[in-house]
Amino acid sequence: MENTKPEKSKFVGDGIVILHDVAGAMKGDRVARAAGYEVKLVSPPPEMRMGCDLALEVNLFEQAGIERIFKEKDVPYKTFQPIAKGSSRMCDIVKVTDFANWVMVKAGNMKISYEKASGIVVNVSGGGCPDIPYLNAEMVGKTLAEAPLPSELGYTLCATMLQRAYEEAVSIYNGGNHL
Amino acid sequence: MMLLFGTIPDKNLPLVYGQVRQEGDFLYAGEQRFSRTQGTGAMISAALAITNYFKLEAPYVLVAGDIGGGDGSRELYKYLIEHVVELSPDVLTMHYCLPIMALLRKVCEEVNKCSKRPLMIADAGAMYAAKGAKLATEFDIFTPDSSEVAFLADPQATHPAYISHHLFACDADKIPDQIADAYKNNSAAKLLLVKGKKDYVAADGQILSTIDEPNIPMLEPIGGTGDTITGLVSGLVYAGLEPKDAAIYACRTNRMAGQMVNPTPATKVKEIVDQFPQVAKQNYCAWAGVCYTEAGK
Repeated sequence: MENTKPEKSKFVGDGIVILHDVAGAMKGDRVARAAGYEVKLVSPPPEMRMGCDLALEVNLFEQAGIERIFKEKDVPYKTFQPIAKGSSRMCDIVKVTDFANWVMVKAGNMKISYEKASGIVVNVSGGGCPDIPYLNAEMVGKTLAEAPLPSELGYTLCATMLQRAYEEAVSIYNGGNHL
Repeated sequence: MMLLFGTIPDKNLPLVYGQVRQEGDFLYAGEQRFSRTQGTGAMISAALAITNYFKLEAPYVLVAGDIGGGDGSRELYKYLIEHVVELSPDVLTMHYCLPIMALLRKVCEEVNKCSKRPLMIADAGAMYAAKGAKLATEFDIFTPDSSEVAFLADPQATHPAYISHHLFACDADKIPDQIADAYKNNSAAKLLLVKGKKDYVAADGQILSTIDEPNIPMLEPIGGTGDTITGLVSGLVYAGLEPKDAAIYACRTNRMAGQMVNPTPATKVKEIVDQFPQVAKQNYCAWAGVCYTEAGK
């Protein structure tokens, strides 16, 4: 017997993207798949449900890459969040350490260090995804102003956290107040 | 043999399997050259320093270029799934890669078919995948840093960037409780080596040892100083040390090598790796009973 039902996606992600409307969710699904990401259209969590709306299930570690492709392809969205119930949410604490001639800024599991006098990025550390050693190679040796943005070169959540650390480093450096 | 698995930040590097060697400032597997900077390269170069010291067979590596898009990571998982039984390594260390839980699950299923189960070590993306896929207990050693142990302690988290609010602060005095929670949640390997200002070695929820000397705060900003600990502990267990002793000596070696270069936040990790033979020569006789002679015996 011919099976006319579409095969259900076996993909199971750990995050969900809340978009503005059903059309946006469907476009997001199309755009993300075309870029090679595994995603699935799902119902939003009950507390965010408005009616017969749709959300996109994703792998959270790919957040930065998906955010970038949404920006490039004009797919506006409200938020990324973990599927798991409980109090998990993105780490928002930034710590700054003064090493005399250098400053280290840490956001979540990511750290960026720069020289106070020149603003040159001297090291990037932390994280465990493949874009972090790449960002290290691309950013180190350049000034904070010249260095590529982690959000533009990175693909993963580690890069998202590094972007937060980078933004804080820029803010501290431009303010001239290293601590 | 020891097999070291991970991505290299070079989009032109194809998947490579082979025995590793160092020539000048680079690592080679076959004719393929790759850097020994932060990440998998630093981990491999640390393990290679240990096998060289103990006059053991050099590590085999399974590496592929990946700058974050995941293509290289997927090739690596696929190769390992298809070949791990035939390769049957004694030690398998999994490092930088996209944390793809479904593929890691298949790796673990295949590992269970090996005639002799390898000693399994994970750090970085592979550790995130192992925890997220609830496969942590399949591993013998995890080497998290202080923010990653908070991630292991959070039963809901699938990535260190999303952890419960009460774990955000990453206070050093909370690490023992986080270690205990990680074991309670079955999110820890048999042995945890937590890298930080103070290093912790723990098993079954109990802290077995702490290492905090020499204290070198300047090591924290240097990218790759955690990766080298993973490589050191891999080399030391491959040399036959018990995981607990290997973990303790790995932490001491990293700290002492760091002290030797009088580091600043601008120091490169390869400068520290280059000190490992000297630290081994000066200390492993006393620590592990493996002594160095000029004849190289």
